[in-house]
Amino acid sequence: MRRRGLLGGLAAAGLFAAPALAGAGARFRLGLTPVFLDNDAVVIDRLRSALTGAMGAPVELIQRRTYQEITAALLGGALDSAWICGFPFLQHRERLALVGVPVWRGRPLYQSYLIVGAEDGAGGLADLRGSVHAFSDPDSNPGYLVTASDLARMHETPERFFARAIYTYGHRNVVRAVAGGLTRSGSVDGYVWETLAVVEPALTARTRVVSRSEWLGFPPFAARSDRAHDPDVLRFAEVLQRLQTTPAGSEALELLFLDRIAAGDTTLFEGIARRMAQVAAQR
Amino acid sequence: MMLRSLGAWPITFHVALATAALMILLGAAASQQVLATLGRLQDARLQEFARLHVEGLAVALGPFALHKDVWQVYDTLDRARAASSGRRILFTVVADEGGSVLAATDPARAPVDSPVAALAQGALPVAEVTAGNGAPVVRVAAPLAVQGRTVGTVVTELDVSDLVAQRRSATLALLAANAAATLIVVLANYLVVARMLQPIDLLARHMGAAGGAPQAIPAQAIPRADSVVSRLLRNFNVMAGAIDASREAGRRLAERERFVSLGRLSSSLAHEINNPLGGLLNATDTIRTYADRPEVVRTSADLLDRGLRHLRDVSRAILDENRLDRTGRPLSAADFDDIRLLFEPEAARRRQRLDWQTAAGDAALGHHPSAAVRQVVLNLLLNAAAAAPEGGEVSFRLTDGEDGLELAVSDDGGGLSGPDLERLASDRPVAPGGGVGLRMVRDFVGSMQGAIAHERAGGRTTITVRLPRRGAPPC
Repeated sequence: MRRRGLLGGLAAAGLFAAPALAGAGARFRLGLTPVFLDNDAVVIDRLRSALTGAMGAPVELIQRRTYQEITAALLGGALDSAWICGFPFLQHRERLALVGVPVWRGRPLYQSYLIVGAEDGAGGLADLRGSVHAFSDPDSNPGYLVTASDLARMHETPERFFARAIYTYGHRNVVRAVAGGLTRSGSVDGYVWETLAVVEPALTARTRVVSRSEWLGFPPFAARSDRAHDPDVLRFAEVLQRLQTTPAGSEALELLFLDRIAAGDTTLFEGIARRMAQVAAQR
Repeated sequence: MMLRSLGAWPITFHVALATAALMILLGAAASQQVLATLGRLQDARLQEFARLHVEGLAVALGPFALHKDVWQVYDTLDRARAASSGRRILFTVVADEGGSVLAATDPARAPVDSPVAALAQGALPVAEVTAGNGAPVVRVAAPLAVQGRTVGTVVTELDVSDLVAQRRSATLALLAANAAATLIVVLANYLVVARMLQPIDLLARHMGAAGGAPQAIPAQAIPRADSVVSRLLRNFNVMAGAIDASREAGRRLAERERFVSLGRLSSSLAHEINNPLGGLLNATDTIRTYADRPEVVRTSADLLDRGLRHLRDVSRAILDENRLDRTGRPLSAADFDDIRLLFEPEAARRRQRLDWQTAAGDAALGHHPSAAVRQVVLNLLLNAAAAAPEGGEVSFRLTDGEDGLELAVSDDGGGLSGPDLERLASDRPVAPGGGVGLRMVRDFVGSMQGAIAHERAGGRTTITVRLPRRGAPPC
């Protein structure tokens, strides 16, 4: 445990960056955050196959439990690129470059949902004071920042407002926590909730969306700024943006309920930036 | 009352009842052992299951409970529940070391941060878990330990309804099997005992019921084998033959007793016949002498008529006494007139005063047989006349009471001797040398279900015979 923790810390600090890059060779390492449907091995496998086929080289999909671990691995150079959330992307804006932004239902945007149990009578966030709330990840925009910033507008913090706030490290887990009655409410990625409503309708049927945020920039694919012009990264950006043109890529996108992946631009994330500012101001 | 009526049931039933009781006792003991063993096996299996479940949770949840990671505890419980193939585990809740709920498989029952105490109420340690109390759900509590340190508690509800049902069906199956076995054994026992008792039954039937005489068992009904039973039956036949012979001897004795009675009366009766004869002969002489005097002839003829009628009555009474048999006619007032006619000369011969009182009509008398009652009264009167001194008193009283006839004969003699009283009052064998008249009285009264009382008071001996009223008199 101690050794593993030490290695993790060193990796996060970027000390292993050079060997990682040097050892990368023909293998392209893509990090995935739990924003993804982490219980669907088939989707992961199809995505890897599609990317490998399109890249012409093996693509390794790497998953970690927390956003922080993936972001640290990306910044430390253990990953060539990562599909992260807009919140950590903005947190490390100077050190990260945009590789692509998924387009969902025609737009590179999504919402954060505040959900409660299907039978719960809450009409909004204000009704949930003193209850147990489920966040996805402290570095998740829809799974934390949106609710935290809403509370900031109410001059509250999650710690004061809720009796207890737990982190489930997965948007599906937030839905499970609320559906199972572990928590009264939860902050969840709207894209994940809508996708679950199609693939696991019995699960989402036990929850009810109380409020939806404004449309915000969809979680992007990012790479380290200093490696943004590496051939591998450029090639990966090109593969992503043409993924829908290959049968395997199209199938993978279909499984992900995405239209395609666009080049995108940082202005998509201005809404998230505003919320970050509100939270920072409250603190 | 119940026990008394039970005692009247056949011995085969008694044996069957005893066998059934024994079988039920044995069945209950065996069933108890089987159920106890089943219970121990079930409990051992249940405890092993609970131990594995709790130990598995302790390994998986220990670190999460230590860090109070609500989601991980819930996620682990939820996945374990979803992955569980059986339905044994109904509910599991995990609490931290302070007793606050971290998570449960059903958060509605055990919300986060609520106290676990209420849910742990009545929970047993793993080693004491049992399905033996009949409840469909049992609750188990165990500490969650990490590296020897208790970091929380896990409480689990186990569904043991299948074990309870298994125990119930085992009980029912044992009951059914025991009942069937008991029934079969009891039936077989009944048949065997009934077969074994067949010769006894045969014997009982030939013994004669309600005082009837024993009858010899037909030879073909006696087993040919020289067994104890066949010897018993053959011996019985010998005994029955002896009893028949004895009865025949008794009958002949009774017959002879009638002649004995008449014999005892013969002297008196001879006088009774002889005395009027002188008067009658005188009357015939008078008629011859005074044939021309109608009034003398008429008076003498009347005298002749009265004398001859008396002789006719005496001879008829003697003939009747001889003719009577045991299946004869019913008793009537005329029988007592006959007895008086026969006995009076004897009393007169001994110059004894006869006090004769009869107060019963034919309607009451007709319930009883003539021959037996006549013999009883005549024997008692002759006995009283013999006992009373010359010039003494003999009395006879016949009354019709509520319960039947009462015949009382008394005398002022010295009373019955010991052997005579024994003849009259007991069935002990008659001592040789004495008469059999009193024993015959006892036998006749017994055959009529009557009773004899003997009283000695004020210098008088009174023997009272009570004959119960019986059915309608024969037509």
